[in-house]
Order: sequence, then structure tokens, then C-alpha cells
Amino acid sequence: MFKQIKYIFLFSFMLFGFSIYAQKSGGTLVYLVQPEPPSMASYISTSGPIGLVAPKIYEGLFDYDNDGQIVHVLAAGHTVSNDGKTVTFNLRKGVKWHDGKPFTSDDVAFTVMNVLKKFHPRGPNSFREVTRIDTPDSHTAIFKLRKPAPYMLRALSAYESPIVPKHHLEGTDIKSAKLGNKPVGTGPFKFVEWKKGQYVRLEKNKNYWRKGLPYIDRVVGRFVPDASTRTAAMENGEVLYAAYNAVPNIDAVRLKKREDISVTTDGYSMINPVALIEFNAKEGPFANPAIRRAISLAIDRQFMIDNIFFGYGKPATSALSTNFKPTGLYASMPNYPARGDIAAAKAELDSAGIKPDVNGVRVRAILDLIPYGEDYRRAGEYLKQVLGDIGIKLELRYEDVPTWLKRIYHNYDFVMNLNYFYQLPDPVLGVHRHYGTDQIRKGTHFVNSSRYSNPELDQLLASGAIEANAQKRTQIYKKVQEILARDMPVVNLFEMQFLTVYNTKLKGANNSALGPYSSFSEAYLD
Amino acid sequence: MHGFWGRFSKNKSAVLGLFILCLVIFLAAIANWIYPDDPFRLAGKPMSIPGTNGFLLGSDTLGRDVASGIAHGAKTSMLIGLLATVAAVFIGIIFGALAGYYGGIIDDALMRITEIFQTIPSFVFAILLVAIMKPSIESIVIAITVVSWPAVARLVRGEFLSLKTREFVQACHTLGMSDSRIMIREILPNCLSPVIVIGSLMVATAILIESGLAFLGLGDPNIMSWGFQIGAGRTMLRSAWWVCTFPGIAILITVLAINLVGEGLNDAFNPRLRERN
Repeated sequence: MFKQIKYIFLFSFMLFGFSIYAQKSGGTLVYLVQPEPPSMASYISTSGPIGLVAPKIYEGLFDYDNDGQIVHVLAAGHTVSNDGKTVTFNLRKGVKWHDGKPFTSDDVAFTVMNVLKKFHPRGPNSFREVTRIDTPDSHTAIFKLRKPAPYMLRALSAYESPIVPKHHLEGTDIKSAKLGNKPVGTGPFKFVEWKKGQYVRLEKNKNYWRKGLPYIDRVVGRFVPDASTRTAAMENGEVLYAAYNAVPNIDAVRLKKREDISVTTDGYSMINPVALIEFNAKEGPFANPAIRRAISLAIDRQFMIDNIFFGYGKPATSALSTNFKPTGLYASMPNYPARGDIAAAKAELDSAGIKPDVNGVRVRAILDLIPYGEDYRRAGEYLKQVLGDIGIKLELRYEDVPTWLKRIYHNYDFVMNLNYFYQLPDPVLGVHRHYGTDQIRKGTHFVNSSRYSNPELDQLLASGAIEANAQKRTQIYKKVQEILARDMPVVNLFEMQFLTVYNTKLKGANNSALGPYSSFSEAYLD
Repeated sequence: MHGFWGRFSKNKSAVLGLFILCLVIFLAAIANWIYPDDPFRLAGKPMSIPGTNGFLLGSDTLGRDVASGIAHGAKTSMLIGLLATVAAVFIGIIFGALAGYYGGIIDDALMRITEIFQTIPSFVFAILLVAIMKPSIESIVIAITVVSWPAVARLVRGEFLSLKTREFVQACHTLGMSDSRIMIREILPNCLSPVIVIGSLMVATAILIESGLAFLGLGDPNIMSWGFQIGAGRTMLRSAWWVCTFPGIAILITVLAINLVGEGLNDAFNPRLRERN
């Protein structure tokens, strides 16, 4: 009798459980892609809008969950040798490309060695230690490395390193291959049609290797150039998902109050954007680290977040973002007060001998502003005021994008520049480029424009890149952050939070650390 | 002069316009006295509703005083309007006078140049000029001048064409006066009244162009103006209406007042025209 009751109990529990977790199949998911992507070639461009579409079609070896932990995708498992120089991926069996051809280890070797390492913007950095990929059989790929490269395992997502079909690219000019506009992947959705200026349409992959997935039959990415039209489309339920501030913050704050719309900041930790000020550390008024420290001390970071970015953001507390906390690399540092400390900033300047003149002005300078929209102008206006209070009198300069890029990264004709950087999932991928002496690359955008050069730091960065032991790596990056908190060639302002606005009908769309740059494989409509 | 004022004051709306204009000029003059602080200063709690936290007309997203911005913005608008108009009238008179007086090939050449400027839509042209030069108060004045002078040139040329055949000009010729003296001392004073009218209207247009440029983000980022205030507040129109609304009203009233004054001047200078109506 007791046994029977137990079974009944268990059975009803299962039923109950099933009814809660049942995902409905079918339906069309319309989402915003802003702006229209230049191509679908995610293997040669990291352009944001490509990332919104291509990872639905292509897959990577890994994905990462919201805690940053590895989820195996095309790789069913992986092992790293003790010396860190051999990484073996056991690939999934029975995976087929959308055109019916089988997916094999040859595809992986070709993608990494012939495509990503050669043509991808960040690929040469992510895979720089890979010398050879052995393929003893069709479902094993063995990466041979020159030195250990722990950061490589953070760069294997569908967005960062998509695996592409060898049989479509071999022997063609990879930069202009047809695949760029007609992607063929292994992912949950197949490419169907791209109506320029209107939409891109994807269809469910019925032979997807994860049985029962995806739930959604059809995915449509719409291109809507006008911001208020995008907001209206979200408001009346025409589109269900809008990422990367396609719906502006000010509207998102308003829409959030509605019952059928949710707003989340999840899904951006792998991108890890940080707003910051770059200084010309080589010449001009900011060559002295004391004045750079004073600026970091004076700024009320929370004020900027609350009043310019509508509460979305987190004050920076170090050269590294707090998103590096799970990997143990982040350490909290002095000189980054969240609320600003005018008195301390003045004291710093006084003790460095930078005295005010009769008008209370210590230094005059021009602040360049990243020309990506109104928010950064407001930020510039704020900085002008607050730094005026400590005697740094600024003039603002706002130019068009090419002129600005040329000024900062080619001519070095600036002293102070408001900007933001992606720190990416590992400091080697996103942070080293800002500080290393080898990253003073005239003409290359978004690298070390401060021309800050410190042999001690270079040494630490080099050893941090190859250190496989997590604890030792933590120690190395702690020292890195200490040096940067003291020298401040770049003042980090705040960790930016991009917004995804979505209709509550849509569920399961935010299950990956890549967020909008991941697939919709587990998404469903309720 | 009594007769002029008498004719001007017959138009009641022109008198009202003049009164408002004087108020705006007065506001611009005392801006530094009533709001001695920098209008960009973060004066208090951001997004304050008008009348709260010591803000007469509220504060914007950064906590800047909207009222202080309007007072200091009046200075900018007046300055840009006057400077650009004076420059445009000066260039327009030179082009128009030479073309109208000499005629022939000089007229053809100068008028073709004028037409080149006239065929380009003026606001688009102003945007282009400011974008090429870097946005600053000088480049804005230059841009407005460049798009405004052709109208003056056309007008002055027409006046010169009709006046140069009159008896008093022929009399000057027979007296042996030099061309420049005839142009400056004799013809120009006689065609000044329409120039003053068009000039007064140009001040209004200049203020509008400046506001439009600032609204599009092409204003001088270091100088407070009404267009800048509207541009900065437009994104939060639905949550903080006062940031855009008050500078918008300021532009509306000022431009309206200048137009009324311009019309009044027109009536006063051409009394017969009015009686015909």
C-alpha cells in the first residue's frame, strides 16, 4: 500500500512538473536587428549586427552559460594536457550541415587555421599560440599550442569563433565567398532569405542535432532605422525582442512598467563593455600620472550612470571589469571612488605641484568625445563641469567617426578622449590591447592610443597570458591592476549595461552569456 | 522721425513685437547679472519639475537650470542673429550694388555666383558648412552668413537697377561725381529701407538656423543656446516636458516678435503700400 501511494505521489509530481516546464513548439519570432548587418560573414567580421543573426545559423565548439561556465556545443567534450600545450576536442557525432553534408574535424581544423587565424579581426589573437590542428579521426580535433593559452577556451562561442563548412570555402577567396551572404551552418536555424533594407528570415532546422530543438518554427530579423518606430513596434507587439539598445534606454525605462514587456541586462558579460577616458600619456598636460589620478578621483561615476544612462551601469572600481570576478582576475582598487571625491582630487593635484592660477585654472585641455550619439555628449558636458571644479578647464570636441578615429588612433592628436572598450571574456582578448607596449600600433583602431609603455607591466601581461594556474594568474592580474590604478593611462568610468527589451511571451531567449549573440535554440513562445 | 514712429505705431502688433524684442534683449543683457553662474553648471537635482528645488523652469537630466540656459541662450541667439545678419547684409550690398550699377558682364558674373548659392537649399548647405568646419560659434556665423547673403544681393541689385536711371543719378553723373560716391552717397541711402526690412527678418531666420543646427548636434558644444537645450531635452520629452518646452517657447516668441517688427518697419517705410491694402 505504502509503495502504491509513493508511486501515485511520484507520478502526480511528474505530471505537475511536466505541465510547468512544457515548452510549446511552433510560432514565429520577430526581433529587431539594428542596424542592418553589412553581411552574414561572422567568420571575418565582428560587426555587432552580424552577431545578432549569424549565431542562429553557425555554431561554435562551446557556448557559455550566464555564469560564464562552458557549455559544450559542437565539441561534446574537451581535455587540456597537463602542460597546457595540447587541447583535445571530442566533436559531436551525427551533426550535419544545413546542406546535408556531415560535419567533421576537418571543418574545425580548416575554420581555425585557414579562416579565423587569417581573416577574423580577433582570431589571430585568440588562436595565436595554435601551431597545428591534428585530426586523427573525423570527430577528434587536437590543437597543438606553442605556449599554454587558457584564454582561448573563452573565445570559442558561435559569435567569436563560428565553425564554418570547409566544402563551401576551400579554394575560394574567403573574403568574397558566396557563403558570406548565404550562410550554411550546423545551428538550430537555416538561412532562407535576406530582403535588403527589410528583414532576414530563418527557418527551423528539422535535422538539428539536439533532438526536439528548436521550438520556434521561424525567426525573422527586422531592420528598422528609426528609433521611435522601433519602440512603437515593441510597444504594439509587432516585434518580441530588441537587443543592444535597439530600444533606447529612456524608452526602455518607460516600457518596463508594462506587464507584457521585460527588460534585462543579462547576456552582455562576454562583451563586457566599459566606458572610459583615454589620455595621451606621452605628451601634453596629462603625461603626469598625478593629474590622471586626480581626474579619476573627481568623477562622480554614479551620477553619470543615474542621469545620463538612466541607471544602467555599474561604477568601475579597477582597470578590469567586475565581470572577471567569477574567473578570479578582478580585484577592487583605490582611486576609483563611485561618488567622486573633489577634495582628494584637489589634494592630489596640489601635492603634485599643479597649482591653480588667479582664475582657479590649473590646466586647459580639449576633451574629445566618442561620436556615437547624444549620451556621450551629455557625458562630456558633465565631465567639463566636474573637472572645472578641480581647475581642469575643458573644451569639448565632437567630430565625425572617421575624423575622430584618425585623430585618436592614427595621428595621436589628442590629450583626452571619452570612449568605450569591450573587455571581452578574458583580459588577454580585450584588455591587453589597451596597455601593452606591443599594442602601440599606429593606425589600428581601439588599441593602446595612450602610448603608455611600462616594461614591468608588459612582463606581467606576457606571463598572465600563458599562466594556466588560476591562483597564480589571479596574483599576476592583481599586480597589473595595482599598476594601472597608480599610473592610470586610462581612467575607467563605469561598466556599461546594454539593454535587451523583450515581450514576456518570449521565454528561454536569455540562457547564454552571449545573450543576443547566441542562438534562439531554447526560446519558445508562451 | 516723428512721422516714421507714427506710421510704425499705427501697426499695433508691430509695437507689441518691438516690446517683446526689447524684453528679450533686456534679458540677454542682464543674464550675467541674474544668473552669474555658468549655465552649464550642474546646479542641483536633475529632472526637477518647474518650481521645485529652486528651479523656476525646472532642471534638465544633468541638473542644469533651464531658466539660466534661456537667459544665457538669449545672448547667444541675439549675438549670432545680429552678427550673421550684419555680415550677410554687408556682402549682399557689395554684390548687389556692383551688379546693379555696372550691369553687363559684371552683373552676369556676380548674379551667376549668387545663383549658385541660391540653388542649394539653405539649411542643408548650412549643415554641410558647419560639418566641414568644426562646430563652433564662428563656423555657425559663417555658415548662416553664406546662406543668407544672396537674398540681399538680389534685392539691392533690383533697387540699383531702377534707381540708376533716375534723374538725380544722371544729375550726379553730369556733375562729374565718381562711381563709388554715387553708389555709396546717393543710391544706397535710397534703397536702404527694403534692406532694413529684409535684414530684420533675416535676424529671425538666423536664430532659427542656429537653433536647428544646435538641435541636430552641430552647435558649439561650449556655448549655451536655445537649440542646444531643445536638442539635449528632446529624448526625454515624454518624461520631462519642460526641458524642451521653455526654450521652444523662447524661440517662438522671439522669432514672432522680430517678424512683427519687420512687418511694422515695412509698413512704416512704404506707407502707400499699406494704404493700398
